[in-house]
Amino acid sequence: MPKVKVNDVELEVPAGTNMIEAAKLAGVEIPHYCYHPHLSVAGNCRMCMCETDTPRGPMLEIACNMQARDGLVIRTETDNVKAVRKSVMEFLLVNHPLDCPICDQSGECRLQDYYMDHGKYDSRGNEAKVGKHKRQDIGEHIMLDAERCVQCSRCVRFGDEITHTGDLALMNRGDHTEIGMFPGMRLEHDYQGNLADICPVGALTSKDFRFQRRVWYLRETASVCTGCATGCNIQVCHQEGEVFRYTPRRNDDVNQSWMCDPGRDRHVAIGSLSRVLRATVDGAPSADAIPELARRIRAAGAGRVGFVLGTQASLEANWAMLQLVRANCPDAKVFWVAGADADAIAKSDTFLMDADKNANTAGVKLLAEWAGNVGDAAALRAADLALLVVLEDDVVSRVGEVLAPALAYLGTQHNPTTAAAAIVVPVAHVVEMDATYLNRQGRVQRARRATNPLGEAVPAYQALDALGAALGRAPGTRMPVATFLAMARVIPRLAGLDYRGLGTNGKLIAPATPAAAEAK
Amino acid sequence: MDFPRILSGNWETPDSHRLTVARSRGVYSRLPKALGMAPADITAVVKDSGLRGRGGAGFPTGMKWTFVPALEKRKGKPVYLLCNADESEPGTFKDRYCLWLDPHLLIEGMIIAARALDVRVGYIYIRGEFRYIARRLDEALAEAYTAGLLGKNILGSGTDFDLYVHVGAGAYICGEETALISSLEGEKGQPKLKPPFPAVEGAWRAPTIVNNVETLAVVPWIIENGAAAYKAIGTEKSPGTKLFSVSGHVRKPGVYEIPLGLPMTTLINEYAGGLLPGRKLKAVIPGGSSVPVMTPAEVELCSMDYESIQTNAGSYLGSGGMIVMDDTTDLVAALTNLLRFYAHESCGQCTPCREGCGWMYQILCRVRDGDATAADLVTLRDLADNIHSKTICFFGASAAMPVQSFLTKFRSEFLDRVQGRGAGAA
Repeated sequence: MPKVKVNDVELEVPAGTNMIEAAKLAGVEIPHYCYHPHLSVAGNCRMCMCETDTPRGPMLEIACNMQARDGLVIRTETDNVKAVRKSVMEFLLVNHPLDCPICDQSGECRLQDYYMDHGKYDSRGNEAKVGKHKRQDIGEHIMLDAERCVQCSRCVRFGDEITHTGDLALMNRGDHTEIGMFPGMRLEHDYQGNLADICPVGALTSKDFRFQRRVWYLRETASVCTGCATGCNIQVCHQEGEVFRYTPRRNDDVNQSWMCDPGRDRHVAIGSLSRVLRATVDGAPSADAIPELARRIRAAGAGRVGFVLGTQASLEANWAMLQLVRANCPDAKVFWVAGADADAIAKSDTFLMDADKNANTAGVKLLAEWAGNVGDAAALRAADLALLVVLEDDVVSRVGEVLAPALAYLGTQHNPTTAAAAIVVPVAHVVEMDATYLNRQGRVQRARRATNPLGEAVPAYQALDALGAALGRAPGTRMPVATFLAMARVIPRLAGLDYRGLGTNGKLIAPATPAAAEAK
Repeated sequence: MDFPRILSGNWETPDSHRLTVARSRGVYSRLPKALGMAPADITAVVKDSGLRGRGGAGFPTGMKWTFVPALEKRKGKPVYLLCNADESEPGTFKDRYCLWLDPHLLIEGMIIAARALDVRVGYIYIRGEFRYIARRLDEALAEAYTAGLLGKNILGSGTDFDLYVHVGAGAYICGEETALISSLEGEKGQPKLKPPFPAVEGAWRAPTIVNNVETLAVVPWIIENGAAAYKAIGTEKSPGTKLFSVSGHVRKPGVYEIPLGLPMTTLINEYAGGLLPGRKLKAVIPGGSSVPVMTPAEVELCSMDYESIQTNAGSYLGSGGMIVMDDTTDLVAALTNLLRFYAHESCGQCTPCREGCGWMYQILCRVRDGDATAADLVTLRDLADNIHSKTICFFGASAAMPVQSFLTKFRSEFLDRVQGRGAGAA
């Protein structure tokens, strides 16, 4: 590995690493607009210029296009470098409208941040600013204000290299250059929100988030999207119990820096009218839904009670259901329903949008294989049941029939299954609890509690713990950390894992069988 | 002075652009020899001749040719030869004469270069404003194809070479070689990051050599007469003859072929006929509008070669586009006019050039109109310094150097204007 020097720090970095990334490894931030780790190098913003030693003496060069090679030296804080950064800021702002008070990017704007870090000059702009097109509605999710743009071309490269839609371009020349759509085109892809994320300034903003909240009020909690089996890593942005947006969180092994628009939209469901907020028994609100459910399970007789594991639910919740059955009614039948429906396949691609819209199919499969004797959808249809307890799975829609004389449902959203259910128990949304999910790659990833559960909801693993207690033996799944450890102790493929070890990027678990390992 | 007119020798012959006339004047007579030579030997002769690129940078042509990777290293990729006929530098109008009056000489030079570089396909990239010349080039290509001088198995030598004319859309920046390549590829004409350099990875990511019209048109003469004969002309480091486009306040503006090293005063006073009666020299831009301006005292010191102009005046020979300005010139207005051009032509890619060129132009408009303060001149100078060499391509420097040099060498004219005591020629 080549050895490079960033200021006074000598370090070895992988060959081919560019110097912005190398500096990051050395703990040095090099300011930049156009460079993005998951896009090609454009080298046009000139903000990352650093001093390097050349045969002709010290020269200023852009760090983004400098590949690490043995003996390469860069200095990031010399007077020359500071002067260039200051002048680039001055050039970028001379035609900028400076409309921060009404701009949604305020607070996460690189113009603001870098001006404070590297600019701070007295304005010399005495000339008329160049006017450009404002308030352009360019797609379902995105507004464009060309005057705020710094022409970094990240969005153009995103369209060329990630979505391959080639819909955005730099039009005109000189200081009249502006980003725009080709005539007659609109953004038509499902990754539009990323444009607002990668835009370092307020030119491309999200229609969903515009004018909703100043970003400096928002707290960010690392989580995962549960919109499909991909499990994109996200930040949940929230204030005082209200979630305002999801943004992608970088994980090069899962979603790079991206996420899809349907995934981004999912936060709307958290506090929506379709959310299950109250426990009901036979259609009436009830404070005793769980004891009542326990009574009906006993009344039905263990052989005629079924439990459906939830591919939308966390590993901990499914584990809680398995443990509850094992401890209290070992004769009860357990099922899980796999697969995607036709609508979901239509909304899928080969990139991030998986046809399986369930976040934890792989996790349920793992638990079912470990537990053994878990039936599939056909077995569920064939079973003679008096009562079916369903964990976060709209089985009525997915299987197409009501399946048992009586249903009990633990879930977050109203759907055909809640409509058919005699007992409904509200459970926490993914942003309201700590839990883990196993994605399509076999990567265990953590969701972290960002907000408090709404209404009467509690995390499903706690509701199931309470149900177990009401049946006589609690499965001991109140605490997610301990629950995960309990799973990891007995399930070989999870051996050695714990919450802390999962880190921010999750961990791939061992393949199912040695044969599968060889196939990889 | 006795020297061969290598480039302009056929210009006075009627119908010199016709194949039959060109052949009668010796064009294509060097082909049999060149096609019989080993490619590496052709490159060696060009390298030994000391020929330097005539587009402006003066980079040694033979050396550039050696940068093309060998066949096994380029993994089967073809090599492209591009003739840069995007002559757009203000004050430069030599290539259009070569193309208009002697297109076959260029074609001959390109065939020889193609032989040297293992090129099968070449393009003449010509600026959009030269559409009428492009039509003449197309006619010349058709004549050459009919005569078996282009296409498969040229003159029975086994060498194949196809040549096309590609008309640009009229952008100054497309004369920059990587922008030219972008434009040829069908992209917006914007320079690309270097490295990789075009000789290694250029058009369609294949090795590409971009040479100026004049450079390629010299090659046949060098093959015919040898490197030593070429080196015998001009100076040691600037061998050969070169075309100069002289414009401005001279009696005989035009294109002149002279041996490099000729005193600048000889070019101005003898070839171009000197200044108009009663006028005094005020300033000279020696090599196209981008190079630093020179004072009359510097003109006296310089000869027309790469080294002399750089050493004695801190300027460049550039493309050989000489603009002569006498004492009736308002230099503030002249610089404002130049910056209007650069503000219009900046491709808009790099921050300093994109925003800075327009800003400098706006300040200069106020200086010209008597609406500026001395502080504006400080800003102007700062902006030029902050653009120079801070951009992907050389355009930034090209826009900055006139500002820097005008402000330094003719400071009083600008100070007079901001103090409201100007000559008021604007």
